Amino acid sequence: MSRWRKLLIFISIIGPGIITANIDNDAGGITTYSVAGARFGYTLLWTLIPTTIALIVIQEMIARMGVITGKGLSDLIRERYGVKVTFFMMIVLLVANFGTTVAEFAGWAASMEVFGLSKYIMVPLGAFLVWILVTKGSYKIVERILLGACLLYLGYVFSGFMSKPDWSLIAQNTFIPSMKWDTEFIILTIAIIGTTITPWMQFYLQSSIAEKGISRAHYKASRFDVIVGCFITDIIAFFIIITCATTLFPHGIRITEAHEAALALKPFAGQYASTLFAVSLANASILGAIVVPLATAYYICEAMGWEAGVDKTFKDAPHFMWIYTTLIVISSLLVLIPGAPLILLMILSSLLNGLLLPFVLIFALRLVNDKKIMGEYTNKRSRNLISWGTVIVIIALTATLAFMTVTPMWKE
Amino acid sequence: MPLFGELFVSEILKKPVLDPRGDDLGRVKDVLVIKGEPLPRISAIIIEKKKAQYLLKWDSLSIFNKRIISAKIYADKLEVYSPSADDLLIVRDIFDKQIVDANGAKVVRVNDVKLEGLNGDACLIAVDVGMRGILRRLGVERNGENLVQVFGKTLTYNLISWNYIQPLEPRLTTISLTIPRQMLSELHPSDIAEIISQVSHKEGVILFEGLDPDAAAEALHELRPDMQAAIIDKMDSEHASEIIERMPADEAADVISDLPTEKAQELLGMIEREEAESISELLGHEEDTAGGLMINEFIAYPPELTVSEAIERFRKDAGELEEAYYIYVADAKEKLLGAISLRDLILAPTDAKLSDIMQDKLQTVAPETDEKVVAGIISKYNLLALPVVDKDNVILGMVTVDDVVDLLLPPASRKKRRKV
Repeated sequence: MSRWRKLLIFISIIGPGIITANIDNDAGGITTYSVAGARFGYTLLWTLIPTTIALIVIQEMIARMGVITGKGLSDLIRERYGVKVTFFMMIVLLVANFGTTVAEFAGWAASMEVFGLSKYIMVPLGAFLVWILVTKGSYKIVERILLGACLLYLGYVFSGFMSKPDWSLIAQNTFIPSMKWDTEFIILTIAIIGTTITPWMQFYLQSSIAEKGISRAHYKASRFDVIVGCFITDIIAFFIIITCATTLFPHGIRITEAHEAALALKPFAGQYASTLFAVSLANASILGAIVVPLATAYYICEAMGWEAGVDKTFKDAPHFMWIYTTLIVISSLLVLIPGAPLILLMILSSLLNGLLLPFVLIFALRLVNDKKIMGEYTNKRSRNLISWGTVIVIIALTATLAFMTVTPMWKE
Repeated sequence: MPLFGELFVSEILKKPVLDPRGDDLGRVKDVLVIKGEPLPRISAIIIEKKKAQYLLKWDSLSIFNKRIISAKIYADKLEVYSPSADDLLIVRDIFDKQIVDANGAKVVRVNDVKLEGLNGDACLIAVDVGMRGILRRLGVERNGENLVQVFGKTLTYNLISWNYIQPLEPRLTTISLTIPRQMLSELHPSDIAEIISQVSHKEGVILFEGLDPDAAAEALHELRPDMQAAIIDKMDSEHASEIIERMPADEAADVISDLPTEKAQELLGMIEREEAESISELLGHEEDTAGGLMINEFIAYPPELTVSEAIERFRKDAGELEEAYYIYVADAKEKLLGAISLRDLILAPTDAKLSDIMQDKLQTVAPETDEKVVAGIISKYNLLALPVVDKDNVILGMVTVDDVVDLLLPPASRKKRRKV
């Protein structure tokens, strides 16, 4: 095999891990990181290290299942746990992802308003483009656009450098954990880990690996793809926190939304950094608006045994197309309705995600340890210890986060 | 114990089973099936009480329908059941598994299984793959019916007869079901490829091994390149080499080049020598160049041959060739002099020499020419095949139109296997 050929095979395998990881930094994630940087400066940077480790442990396991079984996670859950469990899981996932899609369109609307473009034009336009891309386009086009859009995340790295941060202070805060006994601090710590590991990602990653048909022989390359993806996710997060921490934190500027960060950056980091930040947010939001509904439609159809595929038509795959279309239409309309309960919906969505994650992770761990499914590729004892440990910590954190997101509602 | 009429397995699950006194023996957990003619039949039902499982033979039942199930025997006579991988259990092994539906060339899932009484037995007659089955499993079939009636529609039954279903592996434990092998072989290779791209690797390999080598070779060609290599890699070498042997040399070379080196060498060693040599020769060229695309089997005759001699020789030679659109005319050193289309050859006077009737203004390309350029030339000059020559004009092979047709089509209609 020539060196070129080897490289080509390698390139053909990488992708799922990197795409999944990038899309993980969606509108919600970016908001969390921006707010964390603006509110607490560099002090939360250390959370990215445990986050990366947890992400790698979980994603590696999911990727391995995809390679060994050649099936998606929803396929395996359906075959092992039956239609009832799967059905309810899919309903929760549908509602949760609906909330996430709303958040993506809200992020898109906000970033467009940074440029002075009316959301009443840009949201329908964005929704229409997203819709036409998948219903009329082919898979190849969709994949290329996704990969291209992933590159745009580099915008955050540039804006990070443009803010001229204090690197020695950053290094110190990254490697030495610090805690403050402040509710907001704790919430943000948990939120950083919580927004990084979501139920839909697990389904998405395993399906895309299974779809790619990556064989055992190429598993190493695939694992590399996943690990690189995990690092990229957190490197982007790292630069978002840095940007906001360097420019907004010293001036005590409080923000609650990612687009406010873009606006607030202008006087301190300059026009370009501000624009880069807004463009990256727009990109992340629209990417999320493509992938979240698409992934939702995919695994619901897989689990239920319905036809699915970007290359199919409404006639061939009606369930798939209608789930996708409905998600996009309703979410984009909701963003446009003045006074629509968006915050409530997003809270509900993160709550449902929090509820679902333990099930997804526990199912995944049990499946990965099933000899009948995984053969000799089950988790080794030491890895099981780490995985179960990670899963328990994530579940505890997510539960706390979900609880905290909901409690303010009771107070009001 | 006869079953009158029909029922769905999900309708009896978790139903209590009563003994002759009317005491509770346990609840239905699963249904054990054995082979039968013409259809598989129930040999026993598995009941569960306080986490212990018992086997209740079909003969020991006295009433069996969706409202009531009762046995002739008492609790102390129940046989303890320990699950075995060899048994075929409807809930464990058939429910929720994939079915490859050959008619629509798509994958569906088993939502429920339908039983029917036949000569005193309960036979497995069909699997439910529709929405109704899902709703029934969730216990809301009636509600679902009412709901769609509001919209003026009815829920249709979507059943596949068991006759069309055959286990993919001898033991049904963790695998999917598929349509009968013969039916699969009758499908168009593109459809087979479509099905294979939708099941897991392991099942894909099994499906492939069930096909006859000719059909397999064609279906393999229709698969995505990375999938081709993955499947061949996992197949046993004998089977794989047989399939490779039946592929045109250029396609075989593409597949082999994607395999791990050892496997590739092993396969090449098992293939008929002549074929293996042409493949090895093609492996030397980059995939997306004329050299990588070309077939190195072609017909070339000396210029002094007469038309009738040429036709005579062509009859013998062409049988083994993949494509024969043109007869090339080459000198003793294999230098390309001209080409004659079959039509021109047949219409020419039988005593004419090939050199008299050949076209000598030929389009040719070098082996390292980019595939897009090759496609452009083939399209521009309306060729069926384009000869590939080295710098001394020695003919090496030809690129046929079907190898570049993908490059000529707009992206949407190219061969593509799904998705995200």
